[in-house]
This record gives sequence, C-alpha cells and structure tokens, in this order.
Amino acid sequence: METQNDLPETPLRSFKLSHQVLSLTEISLEHRRIQGMVELTIVPNNDCLRIIRLNAKQLNIERVFLNDVCQAEFIYFDSFHNVCEMENRSLETYAKKHLMAAKITDPDLNNGELFIKVPPAGYAMIQAGLTLRIRIQFNFSNPKSGMHFVLRPPSASSSSAWKWAHMYTNCYENSSRLWFPCVDSYAAPCTWQLEFTVDKHFTAVSCGELVQVISSSDLSKKTFYYKLRTPVSAPNIALAVGPFEIYADPQITHEVTHFCLPGMLPWLKHTVQYLHGAFEFFEETLATRYPFASYKQVFVDELDRKISAYASMTIASVNLLHSKEIIDQTYSSRTKMARAVAEQFYGCFICPHRWSDTWLAKGVATYLCGLHSRQCFGNNPYREWVQLELSQVVKYEERYGGVILDCSQPVAAAAVPKFSHDHHQHHFPKESSHTVSPKYVKALRRKSHLVIRMLEHRIGQQMLFRVFNKQLALATNAAGTKIEAGLWSQLLISTNSFIKSIFTVTGSDMSLCMDQWVRTGGHVKFSVISVFNCKRNTIELDIRQDYIGKRGVRQYNGPLMVQLQELDGTFKHTLQIEDTLTRSVISCHSKSRRNKKKKIPLWTGEEIDMDLSAMDDSPVLWVRIDPEMILLRDLIVEQPDFQWQYQLRHERDVTAQFQAIRALERYATSATRSALEDTIENECCFYRVRCEAAHCLTKVANQMVDSWSGPPPMLDIFIKMFGSLQAPHIVRLNDFSNFQLYYLQKAIPVAMAGLRTLHGICPPDVVRFLLDLIKYNENSQNPYSDSYYRAALVTALGDTLSPGYQSLTTDSSSSISTDPKLVLSAVTRFLRGEHHLPSYKYMVLVACLKVIRRLQKLGHLPSLPHIFRSYSQYRSYLDLRLSAMECLVDLVQVHESGEDLEHLMHLLETDPDPAARYGLVQLLIDNPPFTRDSSNRLDQAELSERIWRNMNSLSRNTKLRCYMVDLYYELYVNERPNFWFPNMNHIMEDSSNSNSENEFVENGTKICGNPRTSIFEVSDNQLMKMEEENQQEEFQKTIKFAEIDSMKWVPSDNQAMDLQEKEKIAETEEQGYDYETEVDENSFPISDNYHKYDETYEVAKKKDWTKHKHQIDSYNHKNHKYKEDKERQQSYPPFLRL
Amino acid sequence: MDKVEAISMPNSDAYRRVLNKTISQMLLDKGAVLASNQCLETLTQMMQSLLVEIGNSSHNYCELGGRTMPTVGDVNLALINMGINVGSLEAFSRRANVATIPLPAQQTQQRQLNLLQAGTKASHPHYVPSYFPPMPDPHTYIRTPTYRQPVTEYEAIRKKAASQKRDVEKALTKFLCKTSETNNLFPTEDNMFPLIACQSVFPAYMAALNPTDQVFDFEELEYHYLVANRTEDAPSKEDGEDGDSENEELDGHKSKEEKPELEIKPNSTTNKAILDNPNIDNPYLRAATLPKRSKHSDSNVSSRILSNRNGSACSTAITPTPSTLEITTNSV
Repeated sequence: METQNDLPETPLRSFKLSHQVLSLTEISLEHRRIQGMVELTIVPNNDCLRIIRLNAKQLNIERVFLNDVCQAEFIYFDSFHNVCEMENRSLETYAKKHLMAAKITDPDLNNGELFIKVPPAGYAMIQAGLTLRIRIQFNFSNPKSGMHFVLRPPSASSSSAWKWAHMYTNCYENSSRLWFPCVDSYAAPCTWQLEFTVDKHFTAVSCGELVQVISSSDLSKKTFYYKLRTPVSAPNIALAVGPFEIYADPQITHEVTHFCLPGMLPWLKHTVQYLHGAFEFFEETLATRYPFASYKQVFVDELDRKISAYASMTIASVNLLHSKEIIDQTYSSRTKMARAVAEQFYGCFICPHRWSDTWLAKGVATYLCGLHSRQCFGNNPYREWVQLELSQVVKYEERYGGVILDCSQPVAAAAVPKFSHDHHQHHFPKESSHTVSPKYVKALRRKSHLVIRMLEHRIGQQMLFRVFNKQLALATNAAGTKIEAGLWSQLLISTNSFIKSIFTVTGSDMSLCMDQWVRTGGHVKFSVISVFNCKRNTIELDIRQDYIGKRGVRQYNGPLMVQLQELDGTFKHTLQIEDTLTRSVISCHSKSRRNKKKKIPLWTGEEIDMDLSAMDDSPVLWVRIDPEMILLRDLIVEQPDFQWQYQLRHERDVTAQFQAIRALERYATSATRSALEDTIENECCFYRVRCEAAHCLTKVANQMVDSWSGPPPMLDIFIKMFGSLQAPHIVRLNDFSNFQLYYLQKAIPVAMAGLRTLHGICPPDVVRFLLDLIKYNENSQNPYSDSYYRAALVTALGDTLSPGYQSLTTDSSSSISTDPKLVLSAVTRFLRGEHHLPSYKYMVLVACLKVIRRLQKLGHLPSLPHIFRSYSQYRSYLDLRLSAMECLVDLVQVHESGEDLEHLMHLLETDPDPAARYGLVQLLIDNPPFTRDSSNRLDQAELSERIWRNMNSLSRNTKLRCYMVDLYYELYVNERPNFWFPNMNHIMEDSSNSNSENEFVENGTKICGNPRTSIFEVSDNQLMKMEEENQQEEFQKTIKFAEIDSMKWVPSDNQAMDLQEKEKIAETEEQGYDYETEVDENSFPISDNYHKYDETYEVAKKKDWTKHKHQIDSYNHKNHKYKEDKERQQSYPPFLRL
Repeated sequence: MDKVEAISMPNSDAYRRVLNKTISQMLLDKGAVLASNQCLETLTQMMQSLLVEIGNSSHNYCELGGRTMPTVGDVNLALINMGINVGSLEAFSRRANVATIPLPAQQTQQRQLNLLQAGTKASHPHYVPSYFPPMPDPHTYIRTPTYRQPVTEYEAIRKKAASQKRDVEKALTKFLCKTSETNNLFPTEDNMFPLIACQSVFPAYMAALNPTDQVFDFEELEYHYLVANRTEDAPSKEDGEDGDSENEELDGHKSKEEKPELEIKPNSTTNKAILDNPNIDNPYLRAATLPKRSKHSDSNVSSRILSNRNGSACSTAITPTPSTLEITTNSV
C-alpha cells in the first residue's frame, strides 16, 4: 500500500517532521500565563530550504534557534484578524476572504502563521537527509481559546486557592497552534516528548506515557515527563492540569487511568466502571491491540463539548459523571466514552490526511461506537439511532444544502447523473476546517457514519473489518519504525487510500459509490405510491423523485430495496431506479384469501395470527422501501391507513414502527386509535416506540376530539400500568427497576398534557390527574432517582396551559385564573425546593424555568426577564444557564426586546464559559430574533455591525467565529442588511485593492497588506491612496447613514473609523504577541475589544465630526427621545407594547 | 372573724391548720376581734411547741417507766413538770359555749397502685439463686417487635402521607423563601409567589451532580446493585492484587520506605490516591522523585533536554531513584 501515490498533488512541505519536544516550564493558573518552548526536529527535503513555515497563533514568540546555536528571524501574522472590512458586508465576499485567510495559514498547503527565515549562517546546517532542530521559545497569557482556565471566583475563600482551579486545552479541529507552535496538520505525525512543570498540588495529564515525575528542589513544583513513541500529529496533543483525583481503572490498572476534580471520585468510579468493555470490544472487533501504551480520561469543568479525544487521552466534561441512582445519563455517558475510545483507533492513531478526509475518521469511529452501543444496549436502540441520524442529516441538508464529505476532488463526470449536483451553495466555504460551520461538521459526522454503514452493506461486515484491520496493522507496523523508513504516511487515511485498501482486500471497486455519496452532497427523496392490480395480482409501485433540485436533494440512479409483506411471507425485491419516475410492477406471491385463517410468516421467521378484516383485496399487508437504511434518503410513502396499522402492529423492525407511527398521525380514526393504544400497552414492543405512540395518540385524539368518548386517552392505560392495586387512581410508589416502564411512566403524562378539548383547553380531568401525580409521587422506596420523572411532570404541567385571554394586564397574582395558578404554585414550590435540595443537574429547576416562560408567553404572567437573566449569569450550572438563555431568546423573539438581546449579545461576547457561549449562539441560530423578511424593531444597524465585527475580530476562536457567520446568515441571509445602501462601484474597487488587511510582525516591525502579494509588491503610494479613499468614503457613508435612520442608530459602532484608527486597534491587539513593542500591555486589557472600539470611536468623533456637530447633536437628541419612548413602553403590559 | 378565717396559711399541714383554728377560736373566746398575722402565727408556733414538748416529755416519762405507750399518768407528770396546772384543764374543758372545731377532712388514703404488669414475669434461671429479686417484666428486657394495627385503607394512608409530605415541603420552602433573597414574578410588590433568587455557588457542577433531593441509603439498596454488579465488582479487587503481586509487594515495600523522606501527606490529591492504593501499579500513583543534589548528571534523554534549556525552573541534574531507573532503562 503506497498511500503517498494516491494523494493529490500539492506543494509538499519542504521538510518532514520527525520529533517534537514540547515543554511548558511555567503554567500559572492565577495569571493564565504559559511560558514554554518547543523543539521541532525536522528533516529537510532539499538543500535550499530557506523559509520554514509553522503554525502559531496568539503566542508571543520570543526567540527562534536553529540547532541551539543560530538565532533566526521570523515573521508572524494572523490572517483571520479582520477578515473582511466593515463596508463590504456580504457573506459571499466574506466567504471568499475567509477561505483565503484559512488557506494562507493552512499547513497542508505548506503555509503557516509563523515564517522562520533561515539566516545565512544556518544554510550549512540544512542538508537534505540530516536533521535540523528548531527551538522556539514562546509565552502567552489570557488565551482567548484553545486553552481554557477554570478559576475560583475571587470572592471565594482563599484558603485553598488551588482546590478547584484547573486548565485544559480545548482545540477545535486542528487548532493546537493556539497553544504551541507546531505543524498544525493531521498529516504531519511525529513522536513527542512532553514536559510540564506545575504547582505541587496539580497533576498534569497529557498524551503518551508518563515516564517520571520530578519534584523541584524546594518541593513547590513538579515536572511531568511524557513520552509518546507512536507518531501522532499536533492536533491530537492535549494537556490538562488540575488538582485531579486519580483513579486507576480497576480492570486495566496499569494502562487506564481516570482523573476527576476533587470530590467527584465516587461518581467517577461509577461512571467509568464499564469502560474496559469498550476496549475489549474494539480490540476484538478490529483484531488489533489498542495502539497506545496508556489511556487517560480527564473529567473537567466548562468543557464546550461533551467529550473530545486526543492521542491516548480524552478530555471529557464533568457533566458526564453520574451516580448509581441516575438512569438516563448512563446511556449517553457510556456511549460518549466509548466513542472516545473508538476515536483512539480512528482519528488519533490513524489520522485523516487532510480536512477533506476527516469524514473517514469521524465516520469509522462513529460506526464502531455504534456497534459497541448495539452490543451494550441492544439492536433496537441502535436502529432507532441510525434512523435518527439519517433524519437529522436529511433535515440539515434540506435546510442548508448538501453535505459533501470529501470536497477535495471533483466527481468523475460519468459517475453521476446530470441532476445530481446540488446548486445551492452554503454560506461558508467547506474546504477548510477553520471556515466551515460547526453545524455542518456535526451533519458531516452523521453522514459519514451512514456512508460507512453503506459500505458495510456493500462489501459485508467481515470484509469491512478486514479492511480496518489491514489499515491498523500497517499503521501499527509503521508506527514502530523511524522516520527514515518513510512509512509514517501509512498512519494517514484519505478517501483514495481507503478505496484502494477496500479494493485490495475485497476486490471490489468502490470509487463509483464514493463518487455518488462522498464526493457529491445531498440525499435522495422518494415519493412512493403503490397500487394493487387485482386482475394480474401485481403491485404497481410508482417511485418518483420529485424534489430534485430542491435544497439538499439530488437524483439517484441505482438499486433500491423494496420489501413487501404479503400474506404468505416477506419478499424482498431489488428495483433499479433509472429516472425521476420509476414504475415497477411486482407480482405478488400470494392470493388474496382473507377468509382463510392461517398464520402469517414474518421476516423474522415468526408466524403470527392477524385480524385481516380491515384488508381489501390486496394480499399485500405493507410495503417498506429501503428497510435497512442503506441509502441516504427521505421517504414519502403513501399507503392506506390499514396498511400502516398492520405495519405498526406486526412489523418487527422498530424503524418501520416509527415510520408507521409518523404516518398514522394523518389518519385519525378509531382503528388508528386502537392500534396506537395496543402498541402502548404491548410489553413486547420497544419502549421508545411505545412512548412515540403515546405522543402520536395525543395528536390523533386532538383531531377526533368531537367523536371521542370515554375518559381522556391514555388515562386508563396509565392507571392500569402504574395505578396502585387498592386505589387505582393513586399512582403506585415509584419503582424504576423496570426501565421500559420507567420511560413510559415519564412519557405518558407529557403526552397527555398535549390533549385539548373542543375549546382548545386541556381537559380538567387531565390537569387534575397530573396534579395528583405530583401530589402522590413517592420515591422513598425506589433505588433510583426520580429527578427526570419529576422534571417530566413539571413539563407536562406546563404543557397543559393554554393562552389566557382575560389576563392581559397581569401585574399581580390576583388576576391569574385558577388552573395557571395551580400550576404556578406547584412550580414555585418545586423551584424553591430545588435551590436547597437540588435534583440531578437541576433537572426540575430547568423544567420550572421553562414553565414560567410558558406562563409568561401565554399571558398569565408579565414577561419579565430578570429571573432568566439571573440564572443565565456565569457561575450558575450550565444546564440552568442554557435553559434560562433559551427563555431569553424566546423572549427576544416574541417581544422584540432590545435590552434582552443586548444582554445576550453581551454574554455571547464576554462570557468566560465557552460551553455557554456556543450553546447560546446555537440557540440564537435556531431561533433567530428576526428574519430578513419581517420588519422588526431589533433589525438595527448596530446589531449587524456587531456580529460582523465579531466575525472579523474572533481570529482565535474558530468555532465561535463560524457560528457568528451562521448567525449572520440566519439574520440577513447572503445579502447586506436592509438599511444599508452601499455604493456598489466603490465596493468592487475596494475588494480588489485591499482584499485582506493582515498584520505582520517582522521581529517587531509591522507591515500591512496581503501577506502573499502586497508585502513585497504593493508600494507605499498605493497604500496611502487606498487609505485616503477608504477614509473619505467611509466618512460620507457614515453621515448619510446617520441621516437616513436615526431611530435605529446607537452610537457605539465604529463606522466613523478610518483605516488608521482600525490599524491602531489592531496594533493594540497585536501587542500581545509583539514582545519588542514598548507600549505597556496593561494599558489596554486585551480581553475587552469593544471597550477599545468605543474609545477609538470617541477619538474619531472628536477628530472628524466637529464640522457636522449640529448633525450629531440633533441625532443624539433624537436618540435620547427614542430611548425615553422605549422606557415608557417598557412599563406597558407586554401585549400593548409596540 | 371573716378576716381571721381568710388568713391563708402558707405551707401548713392539716394539724397546723387545726391548731391555727383553735388559737383563733381561743382568741375569740378571750374577746379579741382582730389578730395580726404575725401574732396568730407566733401563738400557733408557741402552741405547737408546747404540745410537742408535752408529747416529748410524756414519752420520756413513759420510757422511764419501761413502757412503750404513754399513760395518763405520764402526761400528768409531764404537765406538772412543765408547771401547768392540771386541774385548770377540767375547768377549761367544761367552760361555757365551747365552739367545736370541725375535724379536718379525712385525707383519703392514697391507695398504692399496682404496677402495670405486662406479660408474665419469667422465673429465675437455674443458676440465679432464688433470693435475687424477681425478674422484671419481660418488656423491659426482651425486644419484641410491635406492629401497629395495619390501617386497612390504603388510600387514606397515601393521602395522609402525601399531604404530610406536601405540608413539610411547603413549610420548608416558605421558610427558605423568608430567609433568602427572592425574585418576584410580578412588577408590583405582589409577593404571593416569591422565587428564591439564584445564588451562584462555586463550583457550580458540585451541587448539580451531587443531588440532595433524596438521600439514598446505599447499604440498604446494595441488594439492587449487587444483583446487577456482582460479577463486575468482585473479581476487580482481586485482580488488582494478584496481578503481579510479588513485584508490587516489593514496590509497595520500597515506597513505604521512601515515604518518610518524600513527605507524603494526604494534602494533595495525588498523595491521597497513592496512600489509598498502595498495591496498584499505575504511573500516576507513584510518588514524585526528588532531584538529587549530587554532581554527576545522568545521560538519559530527559535530562539532556533539561540541560539544554536555559534558565528553566528545574535544571538540576537528576539521578533517578530505583523505580525511575527501571523506566528509563526500558525507554532507552
């Protein structure tokens, strides 16, 4: 296997990395400061290596030495700083520049932020084939991302300052450059030596084996020495430092170690008790030993993801920990930890070659993890999960456009039919990990998992394992060799090498399949109608692809599996799809004979009795399309309702049952009702199908409310299942030892709360029933916690509420009507109790907050944001914060309240907890405060500038920057905001001249312009001219703007800033890196960008606006008036406000 | 008269009350209309002393006569001895209009209540001599489980339990509301549904992941988990011990010897973990090695790096202790 030959041609890096030493000599948690050095051992490819390009970001490079003796000069710049200037605000332009910025520093293109010039004295050292050591000393403080510090609040007692403080790296995709200089590419593996000097209280956990720990002579510090003999790439290096409690895995004591924060040990022990099973499973499945010598799991606070895997270590969120009595969390914690182990094999040990190949690592790891969950939790949850993944991919693609797994290579033209291309472009470039939307990455992971499943289906599971095994065997072999052997490329996989290894193992060529599903985006969408032809005893299937050309939908030509359940058994047919409309005639195997009583065989081999009275002449009971979920497809299947009911009752596959439930929503008949009720009661049925059936029954019952007789639906079922023996209307003492019943007990009340009478209110019986459930809830005899159950009851209680008409002017408790009052008193009681005796993860409190918001929304309570604001503050628990933020986002959406939006934006920009920031921005993206079409009070210039500014200033935080782009897209689509009337000609000129203003630091001197061209080519005159033009134009626009819409104008933007001012800001920002600049760093706290922007704005105002003072004054006056109006409005009841 | 009657006699027993009445009567006979309290008391006291003295000396005379019960003669002698004219007694008793003082109400004799006997007393066991006091009632030393008559109505119990629980909860939350800061749901001062304001605690996850809404008694519930986990838990401990027990024994021995000089105190979590698991061989559970202050520098890889670095915190040369030597020889 020569993987190198398969790689697309690129300007190869002119050196190979063989070894790297990373040493952080000072890690100061209080000051968030790191001092360290790296030493890269490289092997130059040719003798004329003159510039060495490395990645480094937000680092202050002190000195660079070659081979310890020769000091080298270097240039440093950050291309993501100020990606696209203010006046040219269209996402299309931004996307182009964004991609360029990413490419300028892309290590795979032999680029980087740090250019090291080899001095003439060092030329002699460079000889192809001999090693060269580059030592870089660096320091940095207050990292914006990439490394996170969790510190004790200053107000807390200072007795044990170190007790909770910890830090860890949290790099998004390949962003290790944020904490040490490196070749930040997956494609550059090397061996590592890591050293971390920390305070004596702390443990430093990092990749590789812990070789030794040495105390300093005064015993105040400890140095941890790690060694990683397996070559891994820089993005897979991580570090966590904290006063961790150490727990050696009881099964694999020597190799596997778990770490948690002080006090969490009992939960840690319980949470990780099954981890060894994952190791065994993966080693057995892949027939390969775990590739690293050790494995470490660190549970930390404020992690922005649930878990992230690095070479031989995993950093996981503390929120995954749980105690014995928690049921629901167990599943997700175990799955997440297993996935991290799977990623050790694929993702950490075997790396994707470049960004376009990450789908392979992600897909294989997710696929393996899925198999492990299937082994642990059973086949039904597994199939349900696959179905869920499929539907989420479909949903994403229909919303945002097709996900292309490997975008590096165009598709062979013959492979794909003409309509298969998805013409809808994404609003971000997907070619780089630093520009792509994080939501896209999530969808990509899901989709790649499904594609791996597809491969499994094509070549067989055993063969697929053999492919994996071969790759791993080659990689293991390569990992044992030295760099000189040139085998390290076998640690990398790419789409092409994967196709090739499949070919060598199985002999089948997968490139067509890859072209279809990997290199093209989108999914297929079938509309299927079946008609029975009585004379010929055939089924005529119409399979149409009507939605081609719609967003995310593409054409599919190829085989499609259809499964017919007939009276005589199950029959599979493979149809060939060739056009947008395929009509196929399938002759039935069995005659209609409904009078005969005979058992009907299913595909599982069972034979069951069915009541066939509902059938018509057709011998077909139900039709299933693509039952194994092989294709990436969306299905619209038309069947008569009785067929769906048969499918729900008798089909054994859970995905078919889910499908039937979803379809039955449209057929509100008593037959549907009884089918659903039977499903809920059927103990042999998968519990989630039963829960889903309960929710469906709610919808069906609401549709047939006038013909419904008897007690509210599901009441009897619930009483039968959970009522106590002697007094059935009182719920039994909780006993959750049967998990199926537990989940059902949680789901049914919520489903019932959705019921409505003819008048659109919840039946009083149901309200009373729910209140009784709360009243009689008794958990003292239960070995499991009822937190989730109580939270579900609170949610259900909230769902019973319907809009209050009479209470438009609620400002006292006396005006609330009865039912909401009951709900409110129950909720407040829960809420108060939660503060002192919290439930697991404040479950109940979270539910209470949402109910309070619902009460507000429905007009029972005044819409006051202060409660949610207080919960959204930093230092509250994350789940609480997120739910409070959700309420605030909703408040902003409904009431268009600018203040709350301001509060949220403030949190988004300044919050110390990255998890909360990402959570919040996702909430805003999913529920945008306004859309472009609607006229909305919040749609103001200030906001769009603010987001735009963030897109340009968040140079270090890739994830948040990309989220900001998403948010901008949600609010303004691709165009510029409504209130903006630019002069198009100017813009065009602008973009051609000053396409990106990047900052260069050349040993302390700074150059402005495009790093690639203008640094040498653009003359000073040109620069001057550009500046002048910009200045005038900007100024004119600003004045115009202020005149146009003074109502929407609030003076905190930097419109009036000319280019010089911008530079000034940039300069102050850059001082963090620029060690020779003499300006005192502390004079401008780097963390507070906007403060600075404001200040500069003030300066600009004084300087330029004096001429137009009267204009400004009048505008200020108007603005003041506007504010007054707004304040007055705030005092109105919510529905009377503008 | 009324007044005399009304005088209350503090801490007097029945005899003294009678004596008091007698004195009063005598005073009335003598023509007194009013007597002060002190006077009456004094006279009563005197009278009492007199009577006691008469009694005492009568008793003495009786004993002198070798008897146990005094006779009239003894009393006579006593009176004479005290200088009281015995003859005048008769005239006194026969005087006109003698007012008889009613006898004090017969105090009802408090009947000695029988101690409630519960069960039958056990006889002494054979080794206890019979002169020992009898065994107490069985309930005092035998623990017998008592069952309340089960309330047959399930519904009533559930209702009662539920309402009790709710009352407790209500009272508690109300109290908590009054003692901590609150949020209001309404813009006015209406405080019918106060919410406890959100207090930030650090670290926030601690309370969230350690729920206190219900305290689970793990010993009681152990059964539930044991059924599921018996196979998982039991061998794990043994595994940890018999893996390579001899080496670990040695290691453990060594580390014990090293402990005093390395100053292992359970102050840092690492050290605590080390102390907790002396037998587990895990690189993180080894004690940190001290830098040796001796001269010769070892030529292993890490120290080379160390010496390369200028001005680093721990650039002293290192001589590994035995445990690290093993590792380094392996690694080189």
